[in-house]
Amino acid sequence: MVTEEKKKVINRLKSMYPLRAKVNETYLKSAEAIKAGKPAVWAMLNFYYGDPILKAMDVEVVYPENYGAVAAAMGVAQRYLEQADADGFPTHLCGYSLTSLGYTSRMMKEFKGEVPPEAPFGGMPKPLFLLSSSAICDARYKWFQALGRYMDVPVWPLESPSPGVKEFFIEGSFQRMVDLGVKHLRDFVVFVERMLGRKMDWAKLDETVDLMIEVNRVWHEVNELRKAKPCPMHSRDFWSAMPAALFLAGDLKDSLQCFKDMYVEIKDRVNNHIGAISEEKYRLVFAELPPWHSLGFFDKLAERGWDFVVESFGYRPPIPIDLSQVKDPLERITRFSLQFFAGYYEDARQQNVLGGSFAYPYLKYAREWRCDGAMLHPLISCRSASTHLPYVSNMLMKKLKVPSLSIEGDIVDLRLFNPEDALAKAEPFEETMEHYRRVRKQEGFDW
Amino acid sequence: MSDKSKGLSKVQEIYRNRSQRAKELKAAGKKIIGYPCVYVPLEMLTALGLVPYRTYGDIREAVTEADRALPTSFCPIMRTCLDCDLKGKNDFLDGMVTVHSCDPQEKTARVWESYTDYPYFHFIDMPSTVRPEAIEYFKSQLNDFRKTLETFTGQKLSADKLKSAIKAHNQQRALVQQLYELTKPVPPLISGIELVQVVKALMSLPVAEGNDLLTQVIGEAKNHTDVPKKKPARLLIWSSSLDDTDIMQIFETKANVVMDETCGGIRAYRGSVKLTTDPLDGLADYYMKEITCARTFRQATLGETKKDYAKDIQSRFGYLKGIVKEWKINGAILLLVRYCDPFAFEMPSLKDYLDSIGIPSTYIEYDYTIGALAPLRTRVEAFLETIR
Repeated sequence: MVTEEKKKVINRLKSMYPLRAKVNETYLKSAEAIKAGKPAVWAMLNFYYGDPILKAMDVEVVYPENYGAVAAAMGVAQRYLEQADADGFPTHLCGYSLTSLGYTSRMMKEFKGEVPPEAPFGGMPKPLFLLSSSAICDARYKWFQALGRYMDVPVWPLESPSPGVKEFFIEGSFQRMVDLGVKHLRDFVVFVERMLGRKMDWAKLDETVDLMIEVNRVWHEVNELRKAKPCPMHSRDFWSAMPAALFLAGDLKDSLQCFKDMYVEIKDRVNNHIGAISEEKYRLVFAELPPWHSLGFFDKLAERGWDFVVESFGYRPPIPIDLSQVKDPLERITRFSLQFFAGYYEDARQQNVLGGSFAYPYLKYAREWRCDGAMLHPLISCRSASTHLPYVSNMLMKKLKVPSLSIEGDIVDLRLFNPEDALAKAEPFEETMEHYRRVRKQEGFDW
Repeated sequence: MSDKSKGLSKVQEIYRNRSQRAKELKAAGKKIIGYPCVYVPLEMLTALGLVPYRTYGDIREAVTEADRALPTSFCPIMRTCLDCDLKGKNDFLDGMVTVHSCDPQEKTARVWESYTDYPYFHFIDMPSTVRPEAIEYFKSQLNDFRKTLETFTGQKLSADKLKSAIKAHNQQRALVQQLYELTKPVPPLISGIELVQVVKALMSLPVAEGNDLLTQVIGEAKNHTDVPKKKPARLLIWSSSLDDTDIMQIFETKANVVMDETCGGIRAYRGSVKLTTDPLDGLADYYMKEITCARTFRQATLGETKKDYAKDIQSRFGYLKGIVKEWKINGAILLLVRYCDPFAFEMPSLKDYLDSIGIPSTYIEYDYTIGALAPLRTRVEAFLETIR
């Protein structure tokens, strides 16, 4: 009885479950298809840049970053981490990368290219090629290069521009990024065609791109509804639904319908003042990757009235942009992907926040979602997702009088996250949030 | 300093007080522009009469100020660079140019710009590959850099001015290559410690003054008799950066360091910029292709649809084979600064390559602080025992 009550602390969206089921089904279908001989590609999260092309070419895509999280959650990551360590990779490297390096080492050396028996969810079969990405961090292109030690599989490194906030607005700069992107994708299509031995179906790509953009538009609208008080959707639902929009997991038409259903359910909650938790005392923004291995931690905080109403920029849909007049699907892809990174730049420039796409969005989120606090989750082996957090903390305090709580952890290594210790910090942080509520009122903020 | 030369004495003086000349130039009306990474095309600064000044960190200085801006588990070099800057050690600078040479540089650049108020601050984005469209994009970034420099200085950066600056910097590259020729003899005519001092001095001076200094050092070193003692090991040090004599001292106690592959050494000076019709073409090509930092993704063949590991590591590290032979290197130390991902991912493959050409090597990690030097010494000495 007690257990049942605890499960209800977060009022999960009914419409999330069918969407998540489709995402999970995709993983299984993908594993079966690869077993039946369909080519697999290992890809980095590429922020809409390479995925629509692979999807249009009907390739099964496996994401080693996701698999790192799965291996951690299923308790087999440690074995792969140790293998990578034994092979000479420094232990402070990205936990996801070490997991797949150790996994691949084991697959290729001990199992002659077959999936190791302990690998969860059917494992990651040897790919036809690797799609890396220079977006976000160095690891995401150096790691696939390093996999060359174990398997002679070609790599396509996707470029991803990262201009500064000021520099983005130098005349002609944006168009040059578009030019780079389109040319780069055109060459990538040729590469994929060569690897697969068949031509791109451009009509299918056109449709895929439109669906990708529409799925993300609806997903964006869903998240906009979360500005309501009480917030109708908790971050846990966000993280469950996210792969369908960010990785394009599953059939895009199905996903679009599911996101529309989600919008209807949330709209209904907003109209009827139904919150995601029973008593919303504090509204928080969560910064960067959550502790995938300990998501139950958020239930404990929900019991205290902590509602996570908005999350990291890196996993949210781009601010919608009208690309209907852009005929070339590769240009639509490029502009959409650039919008993800640079969609906040104009606003950031106006407010003279030079921290760029990694930092500025938190200012917007805290203000528009009326947050009382920020929970920052610096990750020991994912420095790219952590570097900006002290800056974010300072910025939120300086500009909005919103305090931050920093809880260290890791994406793979469970030992680095201590939920008890984190929970012990909750009560004092509530006092801090209360204090700054008063400060904000005194200073004329409206929340 | 015995007979070792006036040139090297001057180098050591600059090494100890490296901002002095920049401050004098500032007092004389010159504008001094800082840069934390060798990927910043200094030619463009020189062409406009600006003085490039490399901003380093300090292994002796505890990081305190940068703690409010960067996490502790982060590139220690960028942390100490920013820390020194926030403590006012570079307060004579008129501007700062940063570059997306690696993720820590890029992330730190954004923080750096937000926490400081230099009259001029520019960030150059850099692609990761040497694909033609990537180099074209980098060229466009250099063109944007040119525009902001022109606005800052109020001068036009003409092709002629830029070509002239390229020639001066190419001369410096050629002189540094000559300097490193002095380590070929057994024993070498110049020590690894002196190489660190010379390069650090060069990165503190206007190019013309640096060239004069180099000419003097090389001329005098060729003839002096006070050369380093011959040691059993002739080492290659491969690292992201090695810019402090206390670090180099650890290797040289029981070995001769005859070559480094670091951006505190020869990395920025290999090759030369081609004098193309549009000088930005030559610059883009040089900085993307010729600087052998692990940050750049290289392949045996661009867009290859088949991969061969042996060819792959040959394309990434093959240039070391000739160096090993010519400098009679018999051991390599792969010195990793903690949290440096591009170099960390490279370690096992580089070791594979060195094994393939018969060079014993070891990988050692440290955190670029004075406290890390004692354990570093122990590991270095243990390695040197194996190659006697």
